[in-house]
Amino acid sequence: MTPEELKNISVAKSVDARGTACPGPLLEAKKAIGTISTGDIMEVLSADEGTKVDIPKWCTKQGHEYLGTVEESGYYKIFLRKK
Amino acid sequence: MEEKKMCIGLFTGSVDKLTAAGVVISGAAALDMKVDIYVLLQGARAFRKGIGENADNLPMAENTSMKEEFMQALKNLNVKTWVEFFREARELADVKIHICGLAGKIWGGEKLEDFLDLADDICGIGAYIASAQEADVNLFI
Repeated sequence: MTPEELKNISVAKSVDARGTACPGPLLEAKKAIGTISTGDIMEVLSADEGTKVDIPKWCTKQGHEYLGTVEESGYYKIFLRKK
Repeated sequence: MEEKKMCIGLFTGSVDKLTAAGVVISGAAALDMKVDIYVLLQGARAFRKGIGENADNLPMAENTSMKEEFMQALKNLNVKTWVEFFREARELADVKIHICGLAGKIWGGEKLEDFLDLADDICGIGAYIASAQEADVNLFI
């Protein structure tokens, strides 16, 4: 999805992991994904540079759909759809 | 999805390597891997009740003169302690921690209750090797 589309997307769950270093954001994502329904969209907020590589790979392995990443000032918003 | 399995021989009793192991285990748990951890010689000391919960009791494996800076940096970055990593991974996925019986005895621990409540059982080398044979990923830390 384009950054514009992602900015306007409505998410079922927002996970703010900006206060944690690796593997914090991944663990937060893992915990949160269990609380949403199939087809729901989740965003993960992370200030950790590695997360924007980690989460897409994790999505591939776990079968979730990675939608894209939006860079905000000082952090990233990473979007995915639960499968 | 096919379940993947990781097997770790955890020899270290050093806070830096235990922290690295904690991060690795967390990553495996995030991917729903089944993880078997076999705690060997030095590792069993860190798992002894009254020792490993406090990093002051544990050595550093590398850059040994920089332990204070290392611990402070972990704290500043809001990184969990090694015990917290292990505990959380056990809650997230099928992570089992096995203490080698010989190693336990070296550090004065005979029974499961002599070790941190993270430990699942006390076992021998046969269990480790059997698990290692079946694992998709084998690590020795």
